[in-house]
Amino acid sequence: MTAYKFLRAGRIAPFSGFEWPVGSWVEAETRVACGAGIHACRVADLPFWLLDELWEIELGDEITQGAHKVVAKRGRLVRRVDAWDAEVSTEFAAACVDRVRRLTEGRPEAEGHLADVVAWAPHASAAAVASLAARAWEAAEGGDGYDTERTAQSAWLAGRLGLHPAGA
Amino acid sequence: MLAMPEIEAPLPEESVASRDDAALVAALRTGDEAAFTELVGRYGGLMLRVARLYVPTRAVAEEVVQETWLGVLRGIGRFEGRSSLKTWLFRILTNTAQTRAAREGRSLPFSALAQREVGADEVSVDPDRFIPQGERWAGYWASSPRRFDDLPESRLMSAETFAAAKQAIDGLPAVQRAVITMRDIAGFDSEDVCDALGLSAGNQRVLLHRARSKVRVALERHLDEEGAA
Amino acid sequence: MASELSCRELVELVTEYVEGTLPGDELERFEQHLVYCGPCATHVEQMRETIRVTGSLREADLDAAVADGLLEAFRGWRDGRS
Repeated sequence: MTAYKFLRAGRIAPFSGFEWPVGSWVEAETRVACGAGIHACRVADLPFWLLDELWEIELGDEITQGAHKVVAKRGRLVRRVDAWDAEVSTEFAAACVDRVRRLTEGRPEAEGHLADVVAWAPHASAAAVASLAARAWEAAEGGDGYDTERTAQSAWLAGRLGLHPAGA
Repeated sequence: MLAMPEIEAPLPEESVASRDDAALVAALRTGDEAAFTELVGRYGGLMLRVARLYVPTRAVAEEVVQETWLGVLRGIGRFEGRSSLKTWLFRILTNTAQTRAAREGRSLPFSALAQREVGADEVSVDPDRFIPQGERWAGYWASSPRRFDDLPESRLMSAETFAAAKQAIDGLPAVQRAVITMRDIAGFDSEDVCDALGLSAGNQRVLLHRARSKVRVALERHLDEEGAA
Repeated sequence: MASELSCRELVELVTEYVEGTLPGDELERFEQHLVYCGPCATHVEQMRETIRVTGSLREADLDAAVADGLLEAFRGWRDGRS
């Protein structure tokens, strides 16, 4: 199965600190002991794990589906998704802010959230803006609002980055 | 032709320590006084601190340490090295201390005290540090904590910081003090600590969390004060 | 979907996180939060540094009188063996 993986600059895994090689298989047991396996994203999971670099990853054997990730016994970085860079990341955050702005139409009580998100967005990471936007939607419309915003985020990413939507 | 000395790969720290312990045990069996002195130097202070968790006075704790070493000498012939010397030593120590505590009439076991400590309602971080319920973004940090690892190592690992940590640990409820002393100071794993104190893994973890959280608060306060000074 | 973990909830789970005992779904929520929350990442780092400071505490040696007593006991043991 092909999936996606966000890494810090230099192919560094955010929690284990593991430096991912390109092209060779990495076994979960040996190096990347993050819980029980190699963590990766389906397209719908992308907005939850946004970091500096996005990679396409091939996963092997025994793939477990989590709520917002998949876990495999082994994985191999195939290629970097070059389209995901600082500029697109800023565009993505702007799109999140725009949707929060749309949320306030006819809902004056959401103005406070919008003002906060607008104020914080320039200093926040894409992951933080995505979370703030989803929470703003949650405050207005409950759990469904949260899901709606997260779905919109992943659709934006898939479209802008040209990812195969089945992708996982 | 001269024989070239073989180059040895440096051993990881842990195995240097265990080889040393093993060598000292072997020497101790032959009655080597220097080996005994070295082991007492290595573990004596820590043993006293752990004994002190069980018994009411320093004088009694010193007797427990003395009794433990006598037990060690008597049993050294039977020590097979299946567990580390340190684990074996502290198992004798905690058994001795427990027996002694019962005799001193201070026999309420840690497991009973633990129920009370676990049952207490407490939070790890002052609730005022978070945005209050009912406001936007409730539960987020109201102001960000400051990184400790940005501080110079000489400041973080200073005598003053150590004193602040020690004072915080001394002020902990008995079981939390015992758990953090054995886990984080003495370096035992959770299984050993649960055995020694008669705690469930869950209670041990809750109390360790509370203990560490209080020490963290003390360090934060100390480092902030220093920073402001 | 269930709401995200709040910072206030996260700080209660740090020991379970560093001990590696968080169950899979909670671990996911925990790490997902760390991806976007700098202050919580700092808090976790503070807890790790706290463990390191505590682990660096050194005990004072035994009082000389106690150490002397031990040495005497040692000699008694050594000389008493056949």
